[in-house]
Amino acid sequence: MKQALRLAYRNLIGAGLRTWLNVGVLSFTFVLILFYNGLIDGWNKQAKRDIIAWEYGQGQVLHHDYDALDPFTILDGHGPISSIKGNVTPVLVQQATIYPEGRSITCIIKGVETEQNIIELPTSKFKESDTELPVLIGKNMSVKSGLSIGDEVLIRWRDKEGTFDATNVTIIGIFESTVPTIDAGQLYMPIEKLWELTGLNNEATFFIAGEGYKHNKSSKWKFKSQNDLLETLNAMIETKKASGSIMYVLLLAIALLAIFDTQVLSIFRRQKEIGTYIALGMTRREVVRLFTVEGFMYSFLAVILGSIYGIPLLWFLAKNGIPYPVEEVQDFGVPIANTMYPVFGLGLIIGTLLLVILSATIVSYLPARKIAKMNPVDAIKGKLQ
Amino acid sequence: MSTEKIIQLENVVKRFKVGDGYFTALKGIDLAFSKGEFAGLVGPSGSGKTTLLNIIGSLDSPTEGSATVMGKSIANLSHKDSALLRNHHIGFIFQVYNLLPVYTVFENIEFSLLLQNHTAAKRKKAVMDSLEWVGLADMANKKPSKLSGGEGQRVAIARAMVKRPEILLADEPTANLDAENAHAILDTMKTLNKELNTTFLFSTHDEKVMKYLDRIVHLRDGKVEEDEIIQFIDKVK
Repeated sequence: MKQALRLAYRNLIGAGLRTWLNVGVLSFTFVLILFYNGLIDGWNKQAKRDIIAWEYGQGQVLHHDYDALDPFTILDGHGPISSIKGNVTPVLVQQATIYPEGRSITCIIKGVETEQNIIELPTSKFKESDTELPVLIGKNMSVKSGLSIGDEVLIRWRDKEGTFDATNVTIIGIFESTVPTIDAGQLYMPIEKLWELTGLNNEATFFIAGEGYKHNKSSKWKFKSQNDLLETLNAMIETKKASGSIMYVLLLAIALLAIFDTQVLSIFRRQKEIGTYIALGMTRREVVRLFTVEGFMYSFLAVILGSIYGIPLLWFLAKNGIPYPVEEVQDFGVPIANTMYPVFGLGLIIGTLLLVILSATIVSYLPARKIAKMNPVDAIKGKLQ
Repeated sequence: MSTEKIIQLENVVKRFKVGDGYFTALKGIDLAFSKGEFAGLVGPSGSGKTTLLNIIGSLDSPTEGSATVMGKSIANLSHKDSALLRNHHIGFIFQVYNLLPVYTVFENIEFSLLLQNHTAAKRKKAVMDSLEWVGLADMANKKPSKLSGGEGQRVAIARAMVKRPEILLADEPTANLDAENAHAILDTMKTLNKELNTTFLFSTHDEKVMKYLDRIVHLRDGKVEEDEIIQFIDKVK
């Protein structure tokens, strides 16, 4: 094998520009696969981190009648907050309609604890406000409704008896979050105020669990762990990863096709050389190995070349991030930060490395097998068609 | 020259498939060559000289009959064994040199020794020695594309001789050379034949080569027409 490596290295270096073209395309593919997967992994991590910090906490305890995906369950899906003990913060959810500038917007109003510190929602702002009904909204909601800090807006809701009621609330803060599911169409007010408005005193729709919360399994409330809640997000990311992989599979295929083509051409163009190898005492298997090792070496040189320009480039991107037009992709429903930070884990790097090296070696081996069937006499004379 | 027969051919027949039929290139060849001979297979195109040389070189095998080289029956050798036979005992010189274009002169000559897993120091000494034999010691780092025809063929001789083979097979070695270079090459080969007692077997129809041969086997239509031993006195004449 050492001998095949040495000869393959000589052959590749001796082939000059042809080698470096193949190596260049393959190295670009290698770096691009790494970049793309690193970006998805970075997004994955950022999305999970943000959604945990802003919405899921360490899990959620939901009233047994409440289904977050079914708005008809909001009316009855609530119960006394005394049912759940431990490090949790209650959230009461009600449907409402607001009327900014004469328009009507259906929304969800959530009552949250002013003193909570389980999620990053800036509920402490409620304390700083002396308005009667202070409300927090997200930046996306602010843009869509045209509401700004200090604006008053008419809100209409149903109380516990189903009777419509309406009043004005004041926007006291606009928070910025990458998590669209806590922003779009939602208003936040102190839970005590919502209790007063709805008459649902000391009731909650769900709780957000903090560190160390242990759920009592005999409770009628449903506990959804962090992993249960992240399932949808994981599925979305996997889907995006799979659809994105088509792009780099195509790119890899082009690079491999170039190597395959080079190797197929080599078998014919270099048949005198192959015949000479055999005449000088190489076995056919050794020649096949030599050509396969040449293919392997393309990928090895591609990894070296890719590392030369890829490491500084990817390191720079991982450190400084990539600006992302969040406003244009808010409707994706997945948390996306203004700046995406790719993450290049060891598993990703080794996986990509093996993918490139193995596939390049295999596409080199396939045409090289033809050598085993060559007649050395015809090969020496270059007579094979 | 010893009487030890290192090449023995008995009733060697070689047929090639051509279309629906067969072409018989060799029709029952009986020949033997001793160690240290400087012999040639001579005949017109299609007489079977190159085919015979390929069988002796274990690049091909006889359809019928027996070809024994260095005590090994060519027909019974596996791919690996025939490769070993070529690598250790047989050197080839081709009409168009067949130097490996991406290697330097040094690397071309070193190639056989790499296959034999010699140490770097041993390889270097052997390569430089063989370059000295052919008078190209100062061209070790040149690529084959930078060599003249005569130089290229001398490198091919060095490559064939570097492993000190018992047999050297040369297929039309002077066909692409001018008279001056052809004589220089043949002088070199004759010297190596004498110094190293290597058996040289040529395939040729070049008159210049024939003048150097000690034995000429005339082939015609796949048969031995005449097996002529050239006495020293004949050469003087």
